[in-house]
Amino acid sequence: MIRLDRVSKRFGEMEALRDVTLTVAPGEFVAIVGASGCGKSTLLRLVAGLLPATAGHVVLDGRPVTEPRADTAMVFQAATLLPWADVLRNVTFPLRLMRRAGRETEARARALLATAGLAGFEHRRPRELSGGMQQRVAICRALLQEPRVLLMDEPFGALDALTREEMSLELLRIWQGREMAVLFVTHSIPEAVLLADRVVVMSPRPGRVAEIIPVKLPRPRSFDQEGSAEFQAAAQRIRGLIYGERVRAA
Amino acid sequence: MPSLILAETLAAWPTVLGHTLATLGTVLWGFAASVVISLPLAMLIAASPAISAALTPLLVVTQSIPKVALAPILIVALGANELPRIIVTFLVAFFPLVVGTVSGLLATPPELIELGRACRAGRIQELTRIRLPFAIPFVFAGLKVAAALAVVGAVVAEFVGADAGLGYLIQTSMAFFRTPLAFGAVVILALMGILLFQAVAIAERLLFPWSSGVDTPNPGI
Repeated sequence: MIRLDRVSKRFGEMEALRDVTLTVAPGEFVAIVGASGCGKSTLLRLVAGLLPATAGHVVLDGRPVTEPRADTAMVFQAATLLPWADVLRNVTFPLRLMRRAGRETEARARALLATAGLAGFEHRRPRELSGGMQQRVAICRALLQEPRVLLMDEPFGALDALTREEMSLELLRIWQGREMAVLFVTHSIPEAVLLADRVVVMSPRPGRVAEIIPVKLPRPRSFDQEGSAEFQAAAQRIRGLIYGERVRAA
Repeated sequence: MPSLILAETLAAWPTVLGHTLATLGTVLWGFAASVVISLPLAMLIAASPAISAALTPLLVVTQSIPKVALAPILIVALGANELPRIIVTFLVAFFPLVVGTVSGLLATPPELIELGRACRAGRIQELTRIRLPFAIPFVFAGLKVAAALAVVGAVVAEFVGADAGLGYLIQTSMAFFRTPLAFGAVVILALMGILLFQAVAIAERLLFPWSSGVDTPNPGI
């Protein structure tokens, strides 16, 4: 459904991405890991239609991506909530902006907030919520658009370790019930392995796909699997690709 | 001699009240003009670097000219009526409002702008749905300064050319060495400034309750 074909992106002199080729199947969960500055976020923005590619093609459902699409939703590292709107209006904001809000929008938003454990917080302002709750609101906001592609740019990066683990399982639970492809950028190798069907490992300057590691752990996933040989092997392989020889030497 | 000030002011109360209302009229008209002109102007400046480069030096020039010097010229040019006084008030008051609004519009976090773009918002939607609401606390910071400065502007104008108003009252009282009355007028001016400032603060709290607690770069004002 998503196809990147030899995609390159330059910002002036700086080459952010070079010859990135990647396909994502409908409903697939793909994680992207790599050191800072390897163009992970740029890659997401190309798929989102927020940035044009310098060379190559970004194709979604057989059509080139030239601008943001209604069936693509994005979750950023910061919750990026509107400080002046309450939780409910934040969640419905994209649909209202795209004039796709209907009668049932508010009811759907309330139901979604309830599944995210935010029932009763509909009329709170973002600054009254904890970081984890704010990010839940941001995820609800993306899900309310019923996207076929969910782009997540280090969505749990600003959260504490415990909230982060809890949120990743919640995300899996929500994703399982939907036909929704997820592109998930993260710095955390265990998080990538736990969540994804495939992990795209990127190397920096310029950003390239170093290798794509399939994760053949059964679903539903849980933290028990972290001890399994399959999990460890995948994590070790990714670590080796990112740090190179340094890991083996240590 | 606070008691003397009070006594003299109360003795001349009907006259003082008339002058107060005259000044208040100038202040309010000048303040209203600042709001009506500054907000669209700020949007234009924030919308494009080219417009900003063209207009900002002009705005700075209007701020560098001493209004006391400009007031007599305006009065000769426009006649001895209310208009030149309103213009002087406007010139004194509008600048912080423009600067505040522009900073607010440009301080919108890039992530919010990106969210808007990801939701296919156009330039107009981006302005009305994201940038303007975000700028509200900054606008009100500017409005509070403008409210206080409008009082200063009105008095400057009245000093130069007026037949009514507290500025005129101060000048005429001093000419007759009625210092307590002049002081009384100064006290009324101070009260007027405080009341306008508070009125803006209350309007902010009533209309945009989320705004008053939001951190702005200059929350002290």
